[in-house]
Amino acid sequence: MSHEVPEEVITVDVPGHPPSSPVPPSDPWLGRERLAGLSLVVFGLLALWAGSDLPFMTEGGVGSGLLPRALAIIITLLGVVQIVVTWKEVPESTGTWPLRDMLPVLIGVFLFAFTIRGYDFGAFSVPVLGMSVATPLAIIFAGAAAKDVRFGELLIFAAVLTVICIGLFRFALGLSLPVAPWLIGY
Amino acid sequence: MIETIEHLGLGLSVAFTLQNVFFCFLGCLIGTLVGVLPGVGPVATISILLPVTLSLDPTGALIMLAGIYYGAQYGGSTTAILVNIPGEATAVVTAIDGHEMAKKGQAGLALGLAAIGSFIAGTFATIVIAALATPMTKLGLLFGPAEYFSLMIMGLVLAVVLAHGSLVKALAMIVAGVLLSCVGADMETGRERMTFGLPMLIDGIEFVVLAMGIFGFGEIFKNLADPEKRDVMRGKIGRLLPTFGELRQNLGAILRGTGLGSILGVLPGNGAILAPFASYALEKRISDRPQDFGKGVPQAVAGPESANNAGAQTSFIPLLTLGLPPNAVMALMVGAMMIQGIVPGPQVIENSPDLFWGLVASMWIGNLMLVVINLPLIGVWVKLLKVPYRLLFPAIVAFCCIGLFSISNDPAQVMMAGVLGLLGFALYKLQFEAAPLALGFVLGRLLEEKLRQALIISDGSMTTFLTSPLSLGLLLVGAVALIIAVLPSIRRSRDEIFVED
Repeated sequence: MSHEVPEEVITVDVPGHPPSSPVPPSDPWLGRERLAGLSLVVFGLLALWAGSDLPFMTEGGVGSGLLPRALAIIITLLGVVQIVVTWKEVPESTGTWPLRDMLPVLIGVFLFAFTIRGYDFGAFSVPVLGMSVATPLAIIFAGAAAKDVRFGELLIFAAVLTVICIGLFRFALGLSLPVAPWLIGY
Repeated sequence: MIETIEHLGLGLSVAFTLQNVFFCFLGCLIGTLVGVLPGVGPVATISILLPVTLSLDPTGALIMLAGIYYGAQYGGSTTAILVNIPGEATAVVTAIDGHEMAKKGQAGLALGLAAIGSFIAGTFATIVIAALATPMTKLGLLFGPAEYFSLMIMGLVLAVVLAHGSLVKALAMIVAGVLLSCVGADMETGRERMTFGLPMLIDGIEFVVLAMGIFGFGEIFKNLADPEKRDVMRGKIGRLLPTFGELRQNLGAILRGTGLGSILGVLPGNGAILAPFASYALEKRISDRPQDFGKGVPQAVAGPESANNAGAQTSFIPLLTLGLPPNAVMALMVGAMMIQGIVPGPQVIENSPDLFWGLVASMWIGNLMLVVINLPLIGVWVKLLKVPYRLLFPAIVAFCCIGLFSISNDPAQVMMAGVLGLLGFALYKLQFEAAPLALGFVLGRLLEEKLRQALIISDGSMTTFLTSPLSLGLLLVGAVALIIAVLPSIRRSRDEIFVED
């Protein structure tokens, strides 16, 4: 038997991640390294605050607050060290944070979560729509985030992939995922 | 020695029945198929397929589950190399250099080395299990909570060493990972910790959710953020079988990885999960071009993949000899054995030698099958790459959503992963490495458990970690590794200051 695969040339659409441009940030505190240190300090203090109600030691031994608090303090200190160590470095910008471009993906993920098993928002509730609705919603919204989106292609792709997913996860793997309770009862 | 051969002979006679070979094949195939799906690692695959094995006899069921485990792991590595989405913690390392090789058009070489390395490691690990099952029981018994704790500390220190870039940042990521694992109900008192009153955090953060969020969604966000820099690359999958020269260059890495993995997997801690990280750190340290690691070095794929497979296999030893699951997958295997009416523990070898040695022998057969079925099927996996990214990433989103939801039929898990994806993006932007975070998280819970146990035993005295020779030794190894890693870093930063002056 042969392990040889035909020497085919394939076009791989791999996004490149060149190092961020050496554009100086508008403020030295927004430079990547200092911002990283600052984030650690904020994260550490947040964890310290979140765990402030936990007992440090108990009669029986270590309290539930010992490790979280110790770790939070270590992270805060590491953040300070990071800021001090990189203080003299030329600050580098972190580049753009195009959160708006990512939003469709997040919307797709959340719509999936809300529709797959239904969701109660209080004021109104979403019925159990199942994979037949949740999967294409996630695919179409996520796909809309691409700069080179082609909606016709995306719609067909979503339909085909939904059928494949239902076949694979519900029927081949036997997961008890709702498919379309509003149409076929399961 | 003769005893070992007798045992393996018995095992092979059990494993080579038509029925068991079929279950082994089926397990490997299904495991690979599901494992290739991004974000679906062995843990999810096995938990999904656990009910399927109910109707089988115990030996067949365990052989098939073991096959699913290797298959899923191999499939996960394939995805890690081709799509850079590791399905689970151990594929994180493969993704680093494996995907860089794929970018360079050496995907075939990476996959081929992974398969051959895994097979060599699997063959060796099978012999290790057969030869050392009994003596290793005694060594494992020497490990108390303090030694466990020190062992994990050593592993985490090694993870800091392997991280490229800033040591401070890598250390912070490890600590942050352990901290995140503390979120949720306290294991002893059930008290809520750092949940901010959110009900979805009470049970803690599932590792699969964290991994799919940071590595799955985070990667997608990262790619969407730099669309103008996306380059269409022309690459060849190329030869799958390495040339003799390439094999010789990587044989050292494969053998070192096999050795490391076999040793780490045996330890009754989550040793197997450290194996690829440790192997990567080792290869990076002894390489004459460590600066190229992370940019597509074959040794950084061959070593960790071999270590991964060897560790995965020898991690059956604590389960089969002590009844102690060393990781999540083995915890699921305990469940499968209990369903079949077998209580895992030292009595299994005596009471059901057929099952024990049949399972051990099937591991070798399974590894052979993975090479035989996976290399020819690589063309199928490659088809994934031909799908343009604008269609690939919505598909990944859909698979992740379904996978996340099916963990516990809880939509909150899906949302949590989405939010963690933003965290993953922020980490990328601030040049934090996510791999140490994942490792810290995986070991976090066990770390705290052992810390508490050790301190209860010692009446709260911290010196317990230094008075036990084994524990002290492990801590010293960690300290030495850290010092070695720090030294060049100090030198480098001094050099930079020198240049500035």
